Amino acid sequence: MVLRIRLARFGNKHTPFYNIVVAQARSARGAKPLEVIGTYNPIPKRPTNLYDGNAQARPYKEVALDRARAQYWLGVGAQPSDPVWKLMTMAGLVEPKPTTFHKA
Amino acid sequence: MAPRIQPQRVSNALLPYLTSSTSSSTSSITPTSTPLSSPILSRQFSVTPAPQTRLRRQMFLWLTTKGAALKHHTPGETNYLTGRDKDDKSGGNPRPFPGNSSFLSESVLSEELRNEIYVRVVEKKKSVRAVSVEFGVDMKRIAAVVRLVELERRQRAQGKPLALPYARAVHEMVPTTPLAQEGEHPVYHESINDLPAHPSTGAQIFYPVPESRSFNRVDAGRVFSGAPALEIDVAAKISHPSDLIDDIVQNPNSIEWVGKGGNARQVLQPADVRIPHPQLVQLERDRKAFPNERRTVTERHNERLKKQEEAEQKRREVAQARREKSVQHVEPEGGRFNYRIQDAKFTKETVGVDGRAPWAPGRRYGIPADDRKRGIVKIPTRVEA
Amino acid sequence: MRNTASTSLSKGKIRQSWSKYNLYNLQRFRKPTTASRTFFQQKWTAKAAARAYHGEQVREGQWKRMFSKHIRSVIPMNTTDLAADDGSKESAGRGSGLSETSSRNRSRPIPFTQMAFAPLERRLDVAIFRALFASSTRQARQFVIHGAVTVNGQKMRHPSYLLNPGDLFQVDPDRVMYATGAPKTAFERREARQMKQKSAEPEAEAEAEAEQTKAKPETTEKESAKDTLRALMSQAKTIMSTDKDVLPAKRKQELRGFQKAVRRVLSRSDTSSVLTDNLEAQFSQLTLLLNAKRAEKKPAKGSERETQDKKTSPTSTKSGEAASNALSDAFQAAAEGGEVDTSELTDEEFDVLRHALTQMRDNPIDHSKPYATPWRPRDYMAPFAFIPRYLEVNQNICAAVYLRHPVARPGSAEVPTPFGESISTPAYGWYLKRRW
Repeated sequence: MVLRIRLARFGNKHTPFYNIVVAQARSARGAKPLEVIGTYNPIPKRPTNLYDGNAQARPYKEVALDRARAQYWLGVGAQPSDPVWKLMTMAGLVEPKPTTFHKA
Repeated sequence: MAPRIQPQRVSNALLPYLTSSTSSSTSSITPTSTPLSSPILSRQFSVTPAPQTRLRRQMFLWLTTKGAALKHHTPGETNYLTGRDKDDKSGGNPRPFPGNSSFLSESVLSEELRNEIYVRVVEKKKSVRAVSVEFGVDMKRIAAVVRLVELERRQRAQGKPLALPYARAVHEMVPTTPLAQEGEHPVYHESINDLPAHPSTGAQIFYPVPESRSFNRVDAGRVFSGAPALEIDVAAKISHPSDLIDDIVQNPNSIEWVGKGGNARQVLQPADVRIPHPQLVQLERDRKAFPNERRTVTERHNERLKKQEEAEQKRREVAQARREKSVQHVEPEGGRFNYRIQDAKFTKETVGVDGRAPWAPGRRYGIPADDRKRGIVKIPTRVEA
Repeated sequence: MRNTASTSLSKGKIRQSWSKYNLYNLQRFRKPTTASRTFFQQKWTAKAAARAYHGEQVREGQWKRMFSKHIRSVIPMNTTDLAADDGSKESAGRGSGLSETSSRNRSRPIPFTQMAFAPLERRLDVAIFRALFASSTRQARQFVIHGAVTVNGQKMRHPSYLLNPGDLFQVDPDRVMYATGAPKTAFERREARQMKQKSAEPEAEAEAEAEQTKAKPETTEKESAKDTLRALMSQAKTIMSTDKDVLPAKRKQELRGFQKAVRRVLSRSDTSSVLTDNLEAQFSQLTLLLNAKRAEKKPAKGSERETQDKKTSPTSTKSGEAASNALSDAFQAAAEGGEVDTSELTDEEFDVLRHALTQMRDNPIDHSKPYATPWRPRDYMAPFAFIPRYLEVNQNICAAVYLRHPVARPGSAEVPTPFGESISTPAYGWYLKRRW
């Protein structure tokens, strides 16, 4: 069976929060995973006006990731889901996902 | 509740809109002067003035007699209920509440002093510690002033609305600490060496000491924290509690620990070390030891200050570097959001053997959420700056 | 939550409010009698009076959870005393010092029980009230709920948020001006209404404006520049006068006239575009004019003018008039772009004018605001105006930093409370777990 690195939704209505988990591909979203390797908060935080630097900065989203464990699971063949692939690309763990088709 | 409008005032012909807006309760229109054509308009209204209770009468009497002085303020003077008695020079009585003699309205920093503090710290690059001693302002307050003035300048630059007339009025009403003119002695704002009462000093302890031995502040601190007495040869090296200052300032982690597990605590240090400006004790000691060598004393003081600054700066830098190293900032091109990727460790130590430790990062499995439980604080307990 | 915090006269409770009813209650509050009352009754009365002021908006159970018998206190240390000895003198002999002469031992007692309600001062709504940003805790609470308050730059909608040392909170300046300013009179409300209606009909307004522009050249021709500027000066003086006899209405009239006069002066200067700009641009243009003239004047005739001042000082009324004439001439000359001789102007004239201009810019008449304009503090504000030391407030931006938790020190307690020990001690006793 395929191991996947994917997001598991927590939080309440309208306030999503995700654990980045390693789980069997066919297991339920809310089931206990093999391992939790990180978190992802998709609700953007707005930089405050208190400091000069972040006056024009864009809002940011917070990710926590255990790089060592992520690399291990990638090494043993776990496949990231699309959103996790995106996050891991930004963390520099995997190459950007190759697109299967090109726009004309 | 606003005082009821009296009919005499309302019937004033100059205020037509007033009668129309309040006609439902206290109409001034006398029945004789109103054309009573429609049945709805024919309703009779009472023309007798609304009865004032005795208490209301007394209150308005007081407000027009004794209380009239409190209605407006005189710039530069407080105007509290306790009245302006005794010394008129110092800008009024500082007690706002007649029933409470232990609360005083203490002065606030004047605008000029605030700006001067900002200039010293930010533009002249003076240390917070030095500026604090110079103006007699607490170090936390200096930090706050710098933050606030910086924010004010930014808001002015951005053209955001300010409450200038309000600020002026408040500074006229409350006592202020002025900025000393050139050559004048500065007015100290507050006491800068406040020693917080440590909880462990609350207990009364019976501790017999041989009369042949001196029992000083260092020993008292050890007794309060339950640490064994110092060895005689170690104690002999400490001629004065301020001898401990240098080591602890350089490395605050060097303070000895006593107790085990959850009961572990650091040994209570003497007041000389715990006050915010310990270097001033050393300065005073130097002054006593070398009364005729002012230059040497100042040099030694400056050297100590410099060392302390360096140590503090180094600690700050190390902490900052550690924070920055653990966070990766990603700014994707063309996206609307930035990402902050924080390093996390999901090991047995951080999540517990069963992976259910409540302090572990992320949300837990197999543990009910407390987010709706009674008696648990659900609103944020802190806001990141 | 229903507002039960009435400041009724019959109950005579003291609230965290600047209302004049509250002021009256505060003034007539007397210590409750203790004779012929049981200890329980005494504590009950004391706690009821104290709770009506401290955290009346907090449920009793919530407050009981917040209460702590531990009270923070500090001792101001004297470094000279610390340097003088190592403390062994105090413990010499049988433990209380060999001599009784030490002045350090005799200090005033710390009023611990006055700090019984210190945990409530951490609440955001209370802190806003203490920083003089709202006229009552209830109003502060409303500001928080309505989203006008930020903590550390982020909007905070919980009035019960407990501030941590170092937290910076900021209230919308407009709300603060509304809370602390005098309310609008009926006239002003009507003017605001009419203005609203006018702006709803843009066509009519445009017509009116066209008429105004037509009328303008005539008026400028009629009035000589001299007269205009003399009026300007006198109005500036009225605005700046701190005399209480000048009625607010009168002051306002003058301010409006002054504004008009400034416009007239500006219309004559060569950069006519400023007229159409906002007040800010006008102001900077005028101050620029003033500054330029001062710079011209100073090096040339500094010493001369001083001697002149000395001469003219006995006949102050005359010189004042002459000066205002001179100012108007100078203004005229400046407006026409010619060379200016400003030797006869006094520094005070310039200062008064500049202050009036500043005042006009910072405190304009604006009917769209929910408070009376130009802003003035509301009645009976001064008796409640004090800022405790655990807050550092910047009124200009309506922001404050919660520096630390309030502390007691010998002789004074930082928690602002209208009650003395006779109330606070039994109230503190009430909330101790162990009843005594």
